[in-house]
Amino acid sequence: MVRLSDLHPVEAEHLGMRALAMPAIGPGEWVTPPSVDQATVAIVSTAGLHRRIDPPFTIGSLDYRLIPGDTRFDDLVLSHISANFDRSAFGRDPNIVFPIDRLREMASDGEIGGIARWHYSFMGAMPDPSRFEETGEEIGRLMAQDGVDVALLVPI
Amino acid sequence: MSEAVVPPRALWVPFPLGRPLGAIDDPGFQKDVLRAAFGLLGTAAEPTIEDYPIEAPDKGMSEEWACPLNLGPTSSGGLTDRLLAEVARLRPWAIETRRERGRTLFGVSGAEENQVDELARCLAVVAETGDVIGEPDSDEINWAFDMPLLLRHIADDLRTFYHEAIAAQPGSTPPDHDALSRWIFSETILGETLLLVADGLTDASDSPIAQLVRGLLIPEGHYRGGSAFPAEANFPTP
Repeated sequence: MVRLSDLHPVEAEHLGMRALAMPAIGPGEWVTPPSVDQATVAIVSTAGLHRRIDPPFTIGSLDYRLIPGDTRFDDLVLSHISANFDRSAFGRDPNIVFPIDRLREMASDGEIGGIARWHYSFMGAMPDPSRFEETGEEIGRLMAQDGVDVALLVPI
Repeated sequence: MSEAVVPPRALWVPFPLGRPLGAIDDPGFQKDVLRAAFGLLGTAAEPTIEDYPIEAPDKGMSEEWACPLNLGPTSSGGLTDRLLAEVARLRPWAIETRRERGRTLFGVSGAEENQVDELARCLAVVAETGDVIGEPDSDEINWAFDMPLLLRHIADDLRTFYHEAIAAQPGSTPPDHDALSRWIFSETILGETLLLVADGLTDASDSPIAQLVRGLLIPEGHYRGGSAFPAEANFPTP
């Protein structure tokens, strides 16, 4: 997340107001995962990321898109509704948002135990994150069945 | 926001929006960020927010970027003609970027890669007529969104086309988000078109969603001196 002082003042004021209005929802149950070099990692993105064959996200989308681990970068697009973040970075290097190549390298080097078969994407910019509770719990159950130990949440 | 959500382990990073791993084309830097995040798995015993202490190198970004192309008026025609002329001047470079990368982010609106002209024409018609509610009339494009939300995705596809055109040009460091937005809204026909569409959304005062879409269309700081969002921006749930 960027510093508010690095944003345009109008955007900083807007985000600052939204952060203050955001209802508190945590903390959740504390879980201690296995050692990271033994842990299987899944990416959870809130960049509105999805495959071209998937329906795009819309305003207030609470559902998720499945991103198989073998998805090619040329099949991924962003339908996040915000006009206030830099999409060009993802255009040049998709790992800046969805670091699947970095996880592959770290798994190959033994730094992490492995990579999940499936990853998940949501639309961010939700003023009340508690609305994601139902789908969040759903992908939690799916990740557990996929043997995932660590969810790497990558906001945009 | 992390303080409200209270994730079990959070790494705060000082990077621009859209770059959560920090540095483009820098696997070493990106992995260091991931290592810092994963390190919290072994150190945090309660909900923890830790600051990442290293700034991202400004690799591939330029706040002071200036477009080497002169996109001044090339036609005295109407908005549609001028926008299409601008698109035509950028097209060879956009094609070059797509060839180099083997991919594009263009097409979320429903337009195919070869339908940039039709997309630009449709946006110009919306700008000129002020009709932000009726679906743009196109025999070619199968729109992926309903109006007026479709407008922000048409805008985004065209913005992507412009940025992909810039990315291939020689001798220039691609602009960051702010430099790109400044260029679009101060020097391009696309910027002029988008501001007219935003005015149409403002005039659609009986449509709360239109007011919201204005904030999703124009980056903050580029809408006629104030926030592009209405004072009360409520995000409906479908």
